[in-house]
Amino acid sequence: MSRYRKIFNRIFTSIFLVVLLSINNQSLAADGAALFKANCASCHKIDKDFTGPALKGWKDRVPAGDWIYKWIGNPGAQTDPYSTTLKAKWKPVVMTKFDNLKKDEVDAILKYVDDWAPPTPTAVPGGEPATDNSLLFGILTLVLALIAFILLQVNSNLRKLSDEKEGVLRPEPVPAYKNKTYLMAGILLLFAVGGYYTINGAIGMGRMQNYQPEQPIFYSHQVHAGTNQISCLYCHGGAQDSKQASIPSVNTCMNCHKSINKYEGPDKLVREDGTAVDGTAEIQKLYAYAGWNEATKTYNADKNNDGNPDGAKPIEWVKVHNLPDHVYFNHSQHVKVGKQQCQTCHGNIQQMPEVYQFSTLSMGWCINCHRDTKVDFYDKENKTGNKYYSIYEKFHKDLKSGKMDSVTVEKIGGTECQKCHY
Amino acid sequence: MKKLAIIATLILSMAVVFIGCKDKRSPGSVYMPDMAYSRAYESYATRDSAIFTMDPNDAGHKIFFNNLPPAGTLKRGELYPFNVPNDSNGLLNLSSLVKNPLEPLTGKDLEEAGRLFNINCAVCHGAKGENNGPLAAKVGGVKSIIALSPTYSDGRIFFVTEYGQLNMGSYASQLSREQRWRIVQYIRTLEPKTAPATTTPAAKTDSATVAKK
Repeated sequence: MSRYRKIFNRIFTSIFLVVLLSINNQSLAADGAALFKANCASCHKIDKDFTGPALKGWKDRVPAGDWIYKWIGNPGAQTDPYSTTLKAKWKPVVMTKFDNLKKDEVDAILKYVDDWAPPTPTAVPGGEPATDNSLLFGILTLVLALIAFILLQVNSNLRKLSDEKEGVLRPEPVPAYKNKTYLMAGILLLFAVGGYYTINGAIGMGRMQNYQPEQPIFYSHQVHAGTNQISCLYCHGGAQDSKQASIPSVNTCMNCHKSINKYEGPDKLVREDGTAVDGTAEIQKLYAYAGWNEATKTYNADKNNDGNPDGAKPIEWVKVHNLPDHVYFNHSQHVKVGKQQCQTCHGNIQQMPEVYQFSTLSMGWCINCHRDTKVDFYDKENKTGNKYYSIYEKFHKDLKSGKMDSVTVEKIGGTECQKCHY
Repeated sequence: MKKLAIIATLILSMAVVFIGCKDKRSPGSVYMPDMAYSRAYESYATRDSAIFTMDPNDAGHKIFFNNLPPAGTLKRGELYPFNVPNDSNGLLNLSSLVKNPLEPLTGKDLEEAGRLFNINCAVCHGAKGENNGPLAAKVGGVKSIIALSPTYSDGRIFFVTEYGQLNMGSYASQLSREQRWRIVQYIRTLEPKTAPATTTPAAKTDSATVAKK
């Protein structure tokens, strides 16, 4: 009996060690930083304005008392003067409501914001940033595991010695690599770690978040949409009229680049790997694609009669975002009717030197947004909103009786399978 | 046999892990390429037949679709083509013979025209047509719309959007004919004598918010 108990004990110890190894120390306690990252960071930065205002110094700006909790709970419903000016300033973006955050969680976030200090650029040569303790904990766990293993071995050796002294005969102990307990622990460990990576790999297959292909011309959205304030729809006009946002043809580039032939902007053009980009040389590449002669300021003559200037060819931009063919997605539906900002799905394009895929474009991501987003529901009394929704009689009744306070995309069928898969 | 099964499982899961973690410069693999990559020709899309093709002669080619519509065709609902030739006679004489085919715009339609103007024109010409858009100085030679347009006929303004002029390019590929005729009407509302500047929708949208859309 005691032998079984011993085996049980050993297995238990091994599992305990495995669990210790696999727990990430950050998941132990929810803190302000994690809450901030999960809930706020997609729209707020602490030190500067982003999609929403900078959070630093919020205390001096907002009305005293519990205004901040009310605002975070439901920003859309607040009508006090400060809320109104805030909304007017950041129009058309209104903050999403976070009624799932409890008061102490909001406090934790606010404390994190108050205590936040800008990261000082530490230039210690060879020194590792001491902020992440998980490496230290990992080493500690390994050392403890080693000590436990040695102690177990010592224990069995000592018992062997004492057995010999007392003349008790026991079967020869099995070596460690044949010991079923150790083998079991090893297999469990492999199962846990391997399973984690296998599942993550399997989920990640077919998703291309952070995909950032190298384009034929180093085109910086930061320079065009950010610094020069060109509207997204200037080049991607298809986004408001059709399924495709469409990649602009070369003549759209040439609208401005006929006269802008040098890069003299304030933004430094740097590739992802850190190499500098010569903006003027990139514009020359564009001229080659367009068949434009910079010296004479004319397009090349069309001697081969193909309808294009000689030497001109389309730029083979690499498509970044690809939804699987079995999903229907229409840009105009979201941009024109849904009045979504491009940045909602594509991230802060106007700050990206090289575009990468910001969202996962997974189905869960679509569905979550459809559950949270409210449609511009028709208000029969004030005659505001999208008149298309005037036909939803039941919702109008429910809104009037107070049964529901708003209509989300899900309510009008935005999560039905056949809306996107047909 | 059992050993083989274990080894096979291990190798398979390693393969999944390997495919799953990818370099951000490559799109990675997908489960079913024929369901992920469209077999229909999507506009402006590259069809990389290295990933999927039914035609063995086509394998390994990249086909890039960026074509004009066939000559002589008309999109449904689109206005008839602007048939004035691109020469000085067309600019100075013939263009003025073409009348704006749209009814005078009011309310929301005018607002929509203003929105298109702010997206496409205001970046150089300024939201009020005063030649003060964010790109005006960089492009150079940008003309003040409101200074010139009172002396131009509707057809002549349209001529400029169709073929471009001086530093300005053609907007025929970016805006439909109807949209451009609407913008011509909107420009009329910007002119100081016909409408007071305070009632124009342009006052709402300054150039800074235009870039956000």
